[in-house]
This record gives sequence, C-alpha cells and structure tokens, in this order.
Amino acid sequence: MFNWIESRTGFVSMTKNFLTEDVPGGPSYWYVFGSATLFAMILQIVTGIFLTMYYAPSSASAWESTLFIYQKVPFGQFIISLHYWGATAMIALVAMHLVQVAVWGAYKRPRELQWVVGVVLFILTLVLGLTGYLLPWDLNAYFASQVSLNITGAAPIAGPFLQNWLQGGPTMNTLTLNKFFGIHVWLTPLLLILLVAVHLIIFRHNGSAGPPKDDRRALRPGRFWPNQMWMDTMASFVVLLVIVILAILSPAPLDAKADPNNDQFVPSPAWYFMGLYFLLEIFPGQLGQFIGTIVIPTLGVVFLILLPWLDRNPSREIRRRPAAMIVTAIFILIAAGLSIGGQSTVNAKAAARGQTAPTVPGGADAAKIAQEAAAPLPATGSAAGQPGVSGASAAGATVFSNNCSSCHGATGQGTPGAFPPLAGNSAVTAADPKEIIGIVLNGKTGPLNVNGTTYNGTMPPWKSQLKPDEIASVLTYIRSSWGNHASAVSTAQVQAAAK
Amino acid sequence: MSQVHAEAYLDPGTPEEQSRRAFMANATIVLGTVIGLVIGVPLLAYSVPGKKINELSSEAWSPVDEADWTKLTTSTAPLKISFTRKTTDGYFLPEATSDYVWGVKMSDAQYAKMKAERTDLFPPDATKAEQVPYMDEIFVAGYVIFSSICPHLGCRFAWDDSKNIFFCPCHNSTYNRDGERTGGPAPRGLDPLPLREQSGKAEITWIRYKSSTPDRVVVSYS
Repeated sequence: MFNWIESRTGFVSMTKNFLTEDVPGGPSYWYVFGSATLFAMILQIVTGIFLTMYYAPSSASAWESTLFIYQKVPFGQFIISLHYWGATAMIALVAMHLVQVAVWGAYKRPRELQWVVGVVLFILTLVLGLTGYLLPWDLNAYFASQVSLNITGAAPIAGPFLQNWLQGGPTMNTLTLNKFFGIHVWLTPLLLILLVAVHLIIFRHNGSAGPPKDDRRALRPGRFWPNQMWMDTMASFVVLLVIVILAILSPAPLDAKADPNNDQFVPSPAWYFMGLYFLLEIFPGQLGQFIGTIVIPTLGVVFLILLPWLDRNPSREIRRRPAAMIVTAIFILIAAGLSIGGQSTVNAKAAARGQTAPTVPGGADAAKIAQEAAAPLPATGSAAGQPGVSGASAAGATVFSNNCSSCHGATGQGTPGAFPPLAGNSAVTAADPKEIIGIVLNGKTGPLNVNGTTYNGTMPPWKSQLKPDEIASVLTYIRSSWGNHASAVSTAQVQAAAK
Repeated sequence: MSQVHAEAYLDPGTPEEQSRRAFMANATIVLGTVIGLVIGVPLLAYSVPGKKINELSSEAWSPVDEADWTKLTTSTAPLKISFTRKTTDGYFLPEATSDYVWGVKMSDAQYAKMKAERTDLFPPDATKAEQVPYMDEIFVAGYVIFSSICPHLGCRFAWDDSKNIFFCPCHNSTYNRDGERTGGPAPRGLDPLPLREQSGKAEITWIRYKSSTPDRVVVSYS
C-alpha cells in the first residue's frame, strides 16, 4: 500500500525526510515553544473557519450573529471562547518563543533571517489580535477600535491615509468592519501561513540551533521523530488543555451592542496592547502621543529586527553574554511593567464609573432579546405559521385580509383622507389595547388625526360580524405586523370589553 | 526529497539555443510582472476608499428635539440636545439616526468670556482666525452647541454636574462649560457646531472633525 503510493507520489519518502532530523543534544522540552505556537495557530485557523459559518460581518449583523453563536449554536460559546483564549495563547507563546530564542542566542549567524521572519510573524499575530477585536461589534470593540484608529490617523505623514484605508472611508462604520474582517480572516492568515512555511524551510536548512553551548562536539544528536515530536505533542496538548479549561471557566465576554452615543463606557484594549495603552497615558499631549504610540513601538520593532546584527558577541553561552541578558531582562520588565500599569489604569477608570465586566454575554441588550424571544407568540387558534407574517398568526392574517384590508390596505398603509394607516399608528400599538378593542367592537366615525394627517372615513362596528377570538387574533396580528411591536390581545380581553 | 533527474540541463546546447533561453527567461519574468500588475494595481486601488466613498455625506441642517431645546432655555448647566440626522453606513441605504450634541446657554457676557478663553477658536492672529470653520455660526440667540465627540480620540464625553466639567471616560480629558480644555490629553477644546434659527426652531449642522489635531479638519458630515 505505502509502496504503491510512494511509487506514484513520493509522499512517503517526503514525510520520512520531513520527520528525520537531528536534534542537537537530544530532544528537550525547551524546544516546544515554536511547535506549540504553530499548534495555537492551527487551532485559531480551524475555530476561525467554523466561526465564519455563523458570523456575518456588517454593522447590522456582526453583534447579532455573534450573540446568536453564544445563544443558539451548539457549543457556540465554547468555540468562540476557544478562539478567544487561543488568541491569548498564540500571542503568549510567540512571545515566549521569542524570549527563549533571544536568551539562547539562537538568532545568531546563520539564523539571522529566520529571526527576522519570526519578528514579522510576531507582528502579524498582533495584527490578527487588533483586527479580530473589532469583529464582535460590541461596545468595547467599537470604542477600543475607534481609539486605535484615531491614534493611527494622528500619526504624521502616512497616518491619515492609513486611517482612511483601514476605516474604509472618513468615519468608522460598517465598511471598517468589513475591511477588518478581510484583513483578519483572509489577508493576515494567508501571510502568516506563507511566512511560517518560510520560517520552517529556513529552520530545516540550518538545522535546529540546539542548546546554548559554544562547544558543539559535546552535543550528541537525538531524533526528531518520535522523541522530540512526542514532547511537542505533549506541549500542544497541555496548551489545548489550558485553553479548554479557560474557555469553560471563563468564557469570552460580549458586551452590549456598539452604541456610538454611549458616553459612559470605558473601553479597554486587549491585554497584549495594555503596554501601548499605558504609553499613551504616560506621554500626554500631541507630541507625547506621537512618541508613546508611534516612536517607541517602532524603535522597539526596529531593534528586534536588527538584533542579530547589533549583537556582535559570537558566543551563545548565557554566562558569556551579560549585556544581551541585561537588555533582554530590561525589555521584559518594561513590557510587563507597562502592561500592569495599563491594566490597573483601565481597572481604576472602570471602577470609578461602576462598570463591571459583562456577566451575560451581550449585556442588557442580550437579556432583552432573550426576553422577547421567550415571550409566547400571539395566542390564536391556528398553529400553522405563514411565511412573511412576522410573529403573528395565520388566523389573524386571514381575518384581516377578509374584512379589513380593503380599507386599511394589505400592509396596513391605510387609504389617504379616509381610512388611517395601522402601521406605526400609536392607537393600534398602545400598551393597553382597551381603546383599539373598543374601536373594532363599536366602530368609529371620523374625523381623526393620525401622525399629522386627518382621516374622515367611517369604521363599522364588528362585534356582531366577528367572534371575540377572531377579533383578538386580528388585533394581535395588526399590533405585531408591518413594524408594529405591541403585545398580543387575548379573547378574554375582547370579551371583557364587549360587556 | 528524491533526487531530481533533469537530463535536459546536462547539454548547454548551441549558442542560438542559449540566446533563446536567455530571452525566454527574461520574457517569463517580464510577463509574470505584467500579470501581477494587471491584477495587483486594480486590487490596491480597490482597497483604498475612493472619492465616492469618502463623499458619502454632505453638509445638512438638522432640526433639534424641541423638548430638549425648551429645557435648555431655562438651564444653566449644559444639556444633551437630541437631533436626527441622515447617515449612510457604508453600503446600507441612508437612514435617520438619532444622535445628540451638547447645548450651552450663554449670555453675551459669558460668550465674551468664552471668546477670551478659547484661543483655539479665537486665535489672536486674525489670519489664523479665518481658518477656523463656521465661526460666524457658532453663537446664535444666546446658545452655543458643542459636538458630543471628544477631540482627543473620538470617544463620547458627558457633563459632570458635581464638578462642573465635561469629562471623557476614555483618557480623562476635561473641559469647562465654555468647552475650554482644562485637563487631560486632548489637543484642543470642544468643537462648536454651526447653529441657526429657522422659523423659530433651532437647527444644527453635524460635523465630525479629525481627532488629535490642534486644528479643526472636517472629516465627515455623518
């Protein structure tokens, strides 16, 4: 079987070649960071692909479809939460991988380009985090992205163009969401996969860097398959386990739907941007904003990219590279310090406003939607739903078309000058249906004023023509059709009014 | 990977063949570049918002909510004034969106004080003053209207009655009743919006200015 495939494709020997590799100094759990990052990336791609099967990117549907995933899709909250914590895991693992390579001096000749590609991969991962943050279109997504887009726009030279490009226009709106969606779902993952392939091809070309020992003769090689692969798989499993536990115990949050008019909400960036957020805090003013949000991060990235050439020390041994170790430690301390500073600032601001993290996914809006969804459908005889009759029963629709539509119109639009519209008519949609029940039972003679227009027709009494349950069903129908959203009317209410 | 046998490369061939190969190698690169450009240039332009998208909105007067305005006539504190404006959210059909601005009742003396305070609106240099848009329309019949968007990074701020300041929750920018920046990172004071009286009713023009710049640059009217 294998021979048959091998002779026609060469896949078997290719796979063998791929798995056959020396691991200098033998396999080690120190080497799992790269493969664990790769695992997190695959998890993100797989969960992301499945999220798009329900998610609909537009300002009118993004939040609604996200909430739908939470509330209606089997395992929906779990899959969203896997993606949410997977993002955190991926960024954390990229960072750990980067720190380890820095500490071990593995970026040194001949692996400079592998390091450079790695730094670009790190930035792409952050781009994924930034663009994915907007997609739920909740309050936090909206305002945090508004702030980051305006920071972009305030940058000199390319800033305004870049903001316009990212927003898809002069202001942040549904086009922004679609642009971010395209970047998050197509552009960045494609680049990421391509560059991961480049990263791995360079890795195979130079072989594993091995432990930070200058004397390479002492390192007995071990096998990649199955020894190192087993450790990589174990590490990936642990990463998955942590993500699953977090996804179950602490599901991804979803705030209320984005409301541009909200003036109380304190937006909070993702934890991996807390450091940048804090830089914005500690460098006030226009120049400060430029330094904090543009100059310092750019210098940081340039420094990372140039690191293999800035560090001229040929040794890889940790104790022979005190300067590199001190710089790495300072980098980590600054990043951690800024992040903690940013987080405590956000916490303090939110606490000052009494703002708490959403407990129900979707916040108050979602609770309202759940309530509306749980409310019973208007009570009527027939259970058969009729397409196009929103929320009302087929029986009410039939009564309406047989008795009422000739005057009030098939869609409740009325007849100008004579019979008032029912759609958007406050007498029809009043919270207490008593008045409208009375009009149907006893009739009404004009003139009457509806929405600024006078109507002068005559409505006949219906109490001898229609049964109480028919009147109830037609009232329920007109109160919940053509954009009307009033409560159902029961037969008992009609009977009570008829007495 | 298995060894690739490529016999065709063993014999360098005649000078004529070599010359033809050199031509084909170069022509392949050129044609490949052309293919890339034919697809790439329109795609790049496609991803950049063009003139039609950037001009989705146009300047328009919107009447304000009458009940809010009536309240403002007797209020010393700034009040939220609701209004409805036509917005176009990308590819959606234009629709009426309710929004609000901040209304401040001001006597002539108070306005004179605001004029003296707000050097970002009334720079001592007269030529610069001309560059501030809509300045002759901001103080009408004893009222000034401020945009509800924070000039720092675009969040919404609110009036804090206990401290007598406008406060933005995002980055703690504060402004006094005249819209003068009194604290926080904002680069300018609050943005006044054009106001007019039309047959006894107040109307405003909604403008979104660019964030984070000392000057007011119109970004959009929606």
